[in-house]
Amino acid sequence: MSDTTPSRAGAASVASARVRPVRLRRRSRRLKVWFPYLLVAPAVIYLLLITLYPGIYAIIQSFYAVKFGPWRPVGFDNYIQLWGDYQFWAAMRNTLIIGSISLILQCFFALLLAFYAYRDPWVQGWRIIFLVPMLFMPSAVAFIYKLAFLDGRVFSDILIRLGLIDYNLAIQSSTWMSRMVLIIADVWQWTPFLFIIFVAALQGQDEEVEEAARLDGASWWSIFWNISLPLMKPVIAVALILRAIDITTMFANVFIITKGGPAFGTETISYFIYRTGFKSFNFGYASAASVIMLILTIIIAQVVVKRAFVSSRS
Amino acid sequence: MTFSGKLSRRSFMKSTAATGMSTLGAGFASQVWADGHLPDPQSVLDQISIAGYVREDYRNLYSMSDDKPFWDNSKDWIRTVDWEAVRSELAGSTVRFAIGAADTESAAEGLEPFKQLSGIEVELVPIPDDSFYDKALAEFISGNASFDALQFFSPWLGDFAAPGFLYPLDEYAEKWGLPLDDFYDTYRLNYGFFNGTMYGIPFDCDIQMVHVRKAYMEQILGGEVDRVNSVPSYDELIRVSKELNKVEPGVSGVGLMAAPGFWSTYTWEHISAQAGMMLFDESWEPIFNGDAGMKGLEIILELAKNANEGHAGAGWPENRAAWLGGQVATNISWQDSGTQAMRPDQSQIVDDFVTIYEPRIEGGRFAPPNIAGSTSCVSASAQNPEGAFLMLGFLTTASIMAMNEANANGVAPGYRSVLENENLQAVSQPAKVWGDSLDHAWCSPRLPGAFPIEQAIGNEINRAVVGQITAKEALDNAAAAVKRIMTDNGFYAGNDPVDYAAAAPGLYVGEGKDLPF
Amino acid sequence: MASVRKSRSESLFIRYLILGAWALFCLAPVLWFLSVGLRPRVEIITPRPIYWPTFSLDAWHMIWEDWPMAKYLRNSVLAILGSVLIDLVLAIPAAYSLSRYTYRGRDDIGFYILSTRMMAPAIVAIPIFFLFRNMGLLDTIWALMIIYAAVNLSIVTWIIRSYMLDIPKELEDAARTDGASDMRILWEIIIPAVLPGIITAAVIAMIFAINEFLFTLLIASTPDAYTMSVALANFTGGSDGVIYNAIALVAFLAFVPVFLVVVAIQKHLSRGLTMGAVKG
Repeated sequence: MSDTTPSRAGAASVASARVRPVRLRRRSRRLKVWFPYLLVAPAVIYLLLITLYPGIYAIIQSFYAVKFGPWRPVGFDNYIQLWGDYQFWAAMRNTLIIGSISLILQCFFALLLAFYAYRDPWVQGWRIIFLVPMLFMPSAVAFIYKLAFLDGRVFSDILIRLGLIDYNLAIQSSTWMSRMVLIIADVWQWTPFLFIIFVAALQGQDEEVEEAARLDGASWWSIFWNISLPLMKPVIAVALILRAIDITTMFANVFIITKGGPAFGTETISYFIYRTGFKSFNFGYASAASVIMLILTIIIAQVVVKRAFVSSRS
Repeated sequence: MTFSGKLSRRSFMKSTAATGMSTLGAGFASQVWADGHLPDPQSVLDQISIAGYVREDYRNLYSMSDDKPFWDNSKDWIRTVDWEAVRSELAGSTVRFAIGAADTESAAEGLEPFKQLSGIEVELVPIPDDSFYDKALAEFISGNASFDALQFFSPWLGDFAAPGFLYPLDEYAEKWGLPLDDFYDTYRLNYGFFNGTMYGIPFDCDIQMVHVRKAYMEQILGGEVDRVNSVPSYDELIRVSKELNKVEPGVSGVGLMAAPGFWSTYTWEHISAQAGMMLFDESWEPIFNGDAGMKGLEIILELAKNANEGHAGAGWPENRAAWLGGQVATNISWQDSGTQAMRPDQSQIVDDFVTIYEPRIEGGRFAPPNIAGSTSCVSASAQNPEGAFLMLGFLTTASIMAMNEANANGVAPGYRSVLENENLQAVSQPAKVWGDSLDHAWCSPRLPGAFPIEQAIGNEINRAVVGQITAKEALDNAAAAVKRIMTDNGFYAGNDPVDYAAAAPGLYVGEGKDLPF
Repeated sequence: MASVRKSRSESLFIRYLILGAWALFCLAPVLWFLSVGLRPRVEIITPRPIYWPTFSLDAWHMIWEDWPMAKYLRNSVLAILGSVLIDLVLAIPAAYSLSRYTYRGRDDIGFYILSTRMMAPAIVAIPIFFLFRNMGLLDTIWALMIIYAAVNLSIVTWIIRSYMLDIPKELEDAARTDGASDMRILWEIIIPAVLPGIITAAVIAMIFAINEFLFTLLIASTPDAYTMSVALANFTGGSDGVIYNAIALVAFLAFVPVFLVVVAIQKHLSRGLTMGAVKG
């Protein structure tokens, strides 16, 4: 990497170099070289402490059986047990299923709404209204849905009044219905996240191209499909990646609404770690699961995120 | 670790603070320490009364007053113990009491009278409710716990007593005349003793019961509800719940707690106990996956067909809300469902329900289940064990516990003198049936590892309830998991941490007794 | 041109149908929940849901009298403000470095910072819990501040970086030839120029901090450190079961200020939410 800063600083100091001893100039040059690193160091160190230290701690702890007394080394036992643990695999499966369905639905609705909203004169107003769900605390949203679907049975009641069903739905007895509640809650709360981004991206696109296509008689829909959408691809990628990252860490909704749901059907991996760690006090075991999650995260980060973000820098 | 609802003792402290106690606190504070002398004990005791402790709206509703006391003064420890003797020995000393952090304020008020009666200072050590178990355990393990006294969920007694973390209380109970025999056997033996030594004073004395809605039942029966004979068996309960299911839109036949974890375990233990189930045999081998346990689970699966839609996710908070909100026609839950439903500020079904005697199962026995509850203990490394004991004796004394019941805050008395008291029975609907049932109670043994055991069993039962596996698979899986947990806790290695012979008498106290009806 | 106009009005009807339907979907639960907050407890769980409850301020009195709501509010505010402050102090120099300088490892450092955004709380939850317990920081607002700052640092850094990239180099060059040191340039020129970015970053960090649940749940266990988000989950304790009306009011209490602030910066939202990848 070419280092332009020292030369510029050097140029500036050359002017006054004649009256400065050589030693000072070299020191100030070295300072200039290290300066950007110094600027970024506090942030990096802070993050290292919060991520590296716990990461190593988790890795080490995963090789022990830890309850409350002294740690007992068990080698790879925790990992072997995880491999054979149906609850662990259920958690991975649930995270994948619930996460992908939510994500697909959110993306679909966000695109649909963005398509209709970005040309609307009242786009500001729509944006404000659609933002509302995203600004509630996730735990509050979870309670709203717990009451509406489960304890208060409002959803069932509406369906009954519409004549669609006869009796209240037994949501907690059904894995899929419980998952749907989580999915609906997530879609309700986070579609605005994608919507805001998509609308901004659409509004940022070149209007002239659209105008030209309109004059040629193309429908709004085909313009969107053939012009706007392809141009949006990098934006959609970034937005979806961000959302996907957050969805895989789904915890609050599970904790409040289903507590892992019928027969572990809605337990996400975060909840699994919480339960084995803080309810069964099997800390070594939970750490092993955390380590596996960490490895997966690193892989995904390297493969997917790096490409999407660092390259979009330009 | 989150213990919501039933297991948090916040209920006692919070309610008493919200009621007469808060005015009481002010009154007590003003009385104090005129030139260092403690007030006359009798004057303090006089203020521990219905007028002082019970909520005004409930007092008016049931015309409660102190000429109709809920307890027997001769069995109320605070009125029988010699406070002057206490003062001469222990005045000026301090007791450190571990208290759920949210209760700190109200606990301080509630303990004012104790300080004045005994001259003992109480220092509250707030421990987060949510991590009470692990914080307490961590403190015990360190060998130098920061508290002398604590109250906790009674199934944990094994975890704390087995490694020797608790202080034996037999001597103190003897010396200060604690009315141990006034406790029902099931509470005394299970919440108080471990391996033959006394470690705890029973505090919140729970039992699970069956409650039914009056109007609906009378519809089916064509007459009044008879507590003994209207639903004499679980087969009958199944039939009744089927008929009452959807009797009105939004009302289900039966309320059932079948959430994963210990909730399912409790419901299953409740019913299986009537089938004669015991969890373990004399060598602590799990035998609950035998016929009796299977019968219990099969009954649950039948009842689940007529249960409220949320049963597979219902723990105590959900079940309580559904019952008090009128969403179920019958309910299998704790005794407080029977008391709280009487109070108009909490319940939609006031005057429309009855608590009945436990339905029986053919080939089984009458064994109403003593489930959950909490006990009060002193830590082995306590700096002031005797003072701690006295403080706990104060908190668990008959009169205060009786008034808890009158306040319908979910904290339950375990004294014969209280539950058989007619005035209390007038303000607590389940009291008579409850008291009669206790002499036949079933209880699970207090073992180290009890909590994970209850979780493991309950998770499997929940899977069976939602149809993922069969009943047999569920119980067999549970038995395997339980064996693993027991092994981890030191069983089957020739030196079991709990002596079966010592625990056995508490497991079923109804042997050979006549039925109360 | 007639065909164009026709399709325009057709799409107008469908457009408002769809947008309106979603607006209903957004607002209906909110309004209903508000009605839950303003009704007495016995009207919440009933055989059939009550849609027109009797008006009652029971819950309002309850949250202020029976619970230390003022404490929860205070904790939330302190923890969030503190963490945002920490973030700004750390992030502004870092963003400056990442955006205005080129040096070896810059992209890797930038990517590392970004990757911490991907760290699922559950991964480090247990070690952090033990760490804070051993340091005696459990159940303190400091612990929450530290954690929130860590969780949001990447977001704040990248948002500010994105805005800094917009500043024309000429501005800096002019100042530098005048002999100003880099720090002075940062302080007097760059920061004022990216103020919108800083505010956006702060607001978004605030939203994420309010949302933070898992760490808060594990760290905070008494009213000393409970924030609003976890305190909500707390309203299920005691012999009272889940107290929905109190929960609903607390939710609105937290919602209103956040909503107002976000509306104020809505122009910058898209850029903020994507940490600069998408300019709004």
